[in-house]
Amino acid sequence: MKATNLIKYFIGLCLGCMLLFLPISQFQPDGLESLRTLTVQLDGRKKPLDTVAKETVAKIHGSITYQQTDGSTEDYLSTYLELWFNTRNWNEEPFVLVSYRPLKEIAELNLEQKHFSFRELMTNKKLAAVVDLAHEKQFNEQDLNRDEREALTIEERLNLLYTSVGDQSLPIVPHPTDIKGKWAGFNNATELYDVEKFAPLVGDFAMVQQTVLNGGINHLSMLTGITDELKTGLRNLSPDIYPSDFVLAREAHFNHFHPFAKAWQLYGLAFIAMLVSLWVKPWNIYWTAMGLFSTGIAVQTYGFFLRMQIAGRPPVTNMYESVVWVGFGIAAIALIFELITRNRYYILAAAPLSVMCLLLADSLPAVLDPSISPLVPVLRDNFWLSIHVPTIALSYASFALAMGLGHVAIGNYLFTPNASSRLKMLSQLNYRVLQVGVLLLTAGIILGGIWAHFSWGRFWGWDPKETWALIALLCYLAPLHGRLVGWIGDFGVHVSSIISFNAVLMAWYGVNFVLGTGLHSYGFGTGGSELLIAGVVGLDLLLVLATAAKHKGWFSSAEAEPLTTAENPN
Amino acid sequence: MVWGIDVFAGYKSGHFYSESLSLARCAEDRFCPDPLGFGRDYCRLGGGIHLSTEGMLLVRTDGTAVDQIRVEGDVLEVATPNGDRQQTDIFIRPDGSVYPEKVAGLSLLGYSDNAITTVQFQDGGTVDNLAVKVRLQSDRMGQTLERWLAIAPFGYQQMDIGPAHLEIAKASDGEELTELLAAPTENNHVFGELQIGTKRLDVKESLGQLVKLSQGVTAEITDVWADFRLDKNNQPTSASESFNNPALQVILKDGDRQGRWFIFAKPDFEPIRAGDDFNFTASYIAPKTTRTDYFRIVETPNHQLFYAAASSKGFKSGEFVPGEAVTPGWADFKISLAERIDQAIVQRQVVPVAPVAQGLRDQKSGAPALHVATADGKDAWLPWNEPASLATEEGSYFAAFSPKILQLPFYVKLNDFIVERNEGSESVAMWTSEVTLFDPATDTAAPRRVWMNHPTWFRGWKLAQASWNPGDLQQSTLQLKREPWWVTGLTWLGSVLVVSGITTMFYGRAIAKKFKPKAIPNIQPDEPETPNTIPIFQALSDLTILKKSS
Repeated sequence: MKATNLIKYFIGLCLGCMLLFLPISQFQPDGLESLRTLTVQLDGRKKPLDTVAKETVAKIHGSITYQQTDGSTEDYLSTYLELWFNTRNWNEEPFVLVSYRPLKEIAELNLEQKHFSFRELMTNKKLAAVVDLAHEKQFNEQDLNRDEREALTIEERLNLLYTSVGDQSLPIVPHPTDIKGKWAGFNNATELYDVEKFAPLVGDFAMVQQTVLNGGINHLSMLTGITDELKTGLRNLSPDIYPSDFVLAREAHFNHFHPFAKAWQLYGLAFIAMLVSLWVKPWNIYWTAMGLFSTGIAVQTYGFFLRMQIAGRPPVTNMYESVVWVGFGIAAIALIFELITRNRYYILAAAPLSVMCLLLADSLPAVLDPSISPLVPVLRDNFWLSIHVPTIALSYASFALAMGLGHVAIGNYLFTPNASSRLKMLSQLNYRVLQVGVLLLTAGIILGGIWAHFSWGRFWGWDPKETWALIALLCYLAPLHGRLVGWIGDFGVHVSSIISFNAVLMAWYGVNFVLGTGLHSYGFGTGGSELLIAGVVGLDLLLVLATAAKHKGWFSSAEAEPLTTAENPN
Repeated sequence: MVWGIDVFAGYKSGHFYSESLSLARCAEDRFCPDPLGFGRDYCRLGGGIHLSTEGMLLVRTDGTAVDQIRVEGDVLEVATPNGDRQQTDIFIRPDGSVYPEKVAGLSLLGYSDNAITTVQFQDGGTVDNLAVKVRLQSDRMGQTLERWLAIAPFGYQQMDIGPAHLEIAKASDGEELTELLAAPTENNHVFGELQIGTKRLDVKESLGQLVKLSQGVTAEITDVWADFRLDKNNQPTSASESFNNPALQVILKDGDRQGRWFIFAKPDFEPIRAGDDFNFTASYIAPKTTRTDYFRIVETPNHQLFYAAASSKGFKSGEFVPGEAVTPGWADFKISLAERIDQAIVQRQVVPVAPVAQGLRDQKSGAPALHVATADGKDAWLPWNEPASLATEEGSYFAAFSPKILQLPFYVKLNDFIVERNEGSESVAMWTSEVTLFDPATDTAAPRRVWMNHPTWFRGWKLAQASWNPGDLQQSTLQLKREPWWVTGLTWLGSVLVVSGITTMFYGRAIAKKFKPKAIPNIQPDEPETPNTIPIFQALSDLTILKKSS
């Protein structure tokens, strides 16, 4: 690397860091630290109130900010405080997300509306009928259809809203002795502590409540003093059990710093810079783009590091994490290949895909649940989870990158079909990524087999996830072999890298959201918008078909054939 | 593998392992050297144990060490009249036919998964056991039914026919006779009664109340289920409103100590006790179902028969004599005494459910059965897991159609079953079984811990945590699989070979190029062009050239 390039690279890194740390105000204390880091023991772990607020609002509302009817928005902490201290008429606030259209049709709800009030949903007899039927089916161990699964999700949201409003039993009072003991809420704290010892805290708590009720949510800074006092009091009840400030602040920092969102912004910038370096020749900012891209990877790595520290487990354990991890894998694999080949295309293909993965993970908290909750026993305490799943997900990332490169190449075939050396090179680039994917997927499937042999007593059992992973592998093995024996050429590699990705999509998203059966049920969910995804896939395949038609000249007119020119000596 | 088995399914299968009656256990030869782990078991069971043989083992902390597992499949053991014994695996085809067709002189005709036991009562017992056959006749419905009622076995003391209830009882004295023949009274204990320690509580009244048992100890009935079972989430629930399997939950408290008990009304279900120990006996007396329609036959100490009949039309009682029909008031039904046996013995016969036979005891409780015939053409159905004898002219065959049980070369004893929970919640974090494995051949005992993803190996068998019973934390189900170390080794080796093979194919050449020293000038840089040939043919043609030249 030449010195000028090195300087440009550092400029890129610095630009990236500036974006990360600006505005500086995000690191300045705002007086609500004590409130945010008030510890709650919920869903099997101790977490700061900030996380509880974020998760609760995201689960009920489907977004971490509350979009009110007058158009103004409110952050999750304020919204949660209003729920907790019941300062609004939550019966009438249109707060509960109902997004599945067929269910809205059944329940005769306004189809254009996304959020409904508690009262409207609770008094809806048709919705209640679907929920009842779903419960009955669950009791009789029958399979639920999509409507019923969605209805149960809405019931969960309503239950969560019901318990959150005016919740006096939120477990914020630490257990006196046992590190894993059950914490108490303010209403039953006397089971753990003497009344005399506890009475001052009740006063503090009442003050917090009063302040929120009186000052409204607009003067949160008024809470600083009281919440400090409340938190200190709670900690002093059981200083050995109460988590350290470092642990709590780390999680609050993770929520607010939002490394995964910063990462996609950086990838987006790097993409633009790379396009500029490709098209605007006088500005050679290739290395600056690389600097930005590297910063993106660095901040995403930092994000994973924080998340692993908080959750105390390997990086990929559910659907949300797998989407973020695939975004990371695409970027990382692209950077490695880019450093070897230095021809821009890896970054150009990878950056939009990574941005898409991270945006998806960020914007659909109701579908891809980002909350950190304890693992089921079969996933716990084991080495296999930390290698099998990340390996598989990295192979998905490679295939996604190959699919991206395929699209770049398809674009080239459409618009610059005569740039044959570039097309040849793109095919080489794509082939290398496919190799990595095949290697990783094979290794991942075999690792999964060994784990299954341990855990379920058999190496292979034709579980949907296993079957589809095998289908995906075969879908890539076929074109690789076809290329080897000359059945498909450069264009064929690109087309197959796009078409075969649908098998990966099925193994990854389809088994969890469309089939929803099998033993790999750790990331199952609803609300996956199958039709939308099927539509996108269909359009994409049409694009491939159109390019293939143009490239192969299926529809070219007969008169064009006999023309013999210097370029076309036949 | 299914997680979270039903309490009673688990309970039942546990009994199958320990109580399965084996007519003939193979002669045991414990001393067989087994250097490679191929299976000393070959010496022990006729059939031999294949690799990957697997089965479930239910062990209990309060149970004995177990050395048998239930494996997939069924066996038929037959002992012929002349003393020959034979044990054969039975394969059942989807159409119900059976392979093999003949075992030790018995022809195997077929299989039904829904057979029931019917009974006949015959005279010839040595003790008093009243059995009566009652005839129920309705002209309006054009229907005549005959049913057996008997003091013993217990199951024949009562039965339900449509809305009506038939029962038979024996009065030991005049007072009891009067009580049995009295008109029905209001039931005081709607939810039954709980006998705990010396206290007898009415369940409905004391539900949710703290009751003092002895100094400091309180009991509270927190829940009652009329028809107890576990739902999908392993939460107790009631399947119906009728008291078919009544159960209740009692919380006992003494200061900080707390115990949570599930008490069942059925006498064969032991209470499930969790938490701290409390030294009380407890039993749940289910509510006596108030029958609005019943017909009760009562035998007096001097063998007279009386009846008491209640219906919506009223109550009547009197002496029950042959030839005199009683009209209890259920439509136009007339009930009469068809047959009476004072010293009855029961004759059981197993029949498949279809076609529906007369006098079925309970149509729902069908069990598997095997249809066999002896050489002289007599046929019978062998019930599953119940040894039976078949009388023929030359003597009796003994036959048992049972689940396949495999003898392990070691014993498994569960010392402790630990369920860790996620903090502050009921969700399970981990199950751990602490077991002792005892090998009688070498007289060694090994303490082991088995938990999810962490199986243990012993004498070529893998033991893995498979299942648990949320209602009874004293039991654990382990999966046992025949899997010597070299199987695991082979799996690993194969996996490494596949992955390294792909790596070599993709990157081998590039890596080799990197490490190859740069072409040395005095060596010819290019290999001479070789024509494209298939090596084996080339070699063969070379060979022929050689031959010719020599």
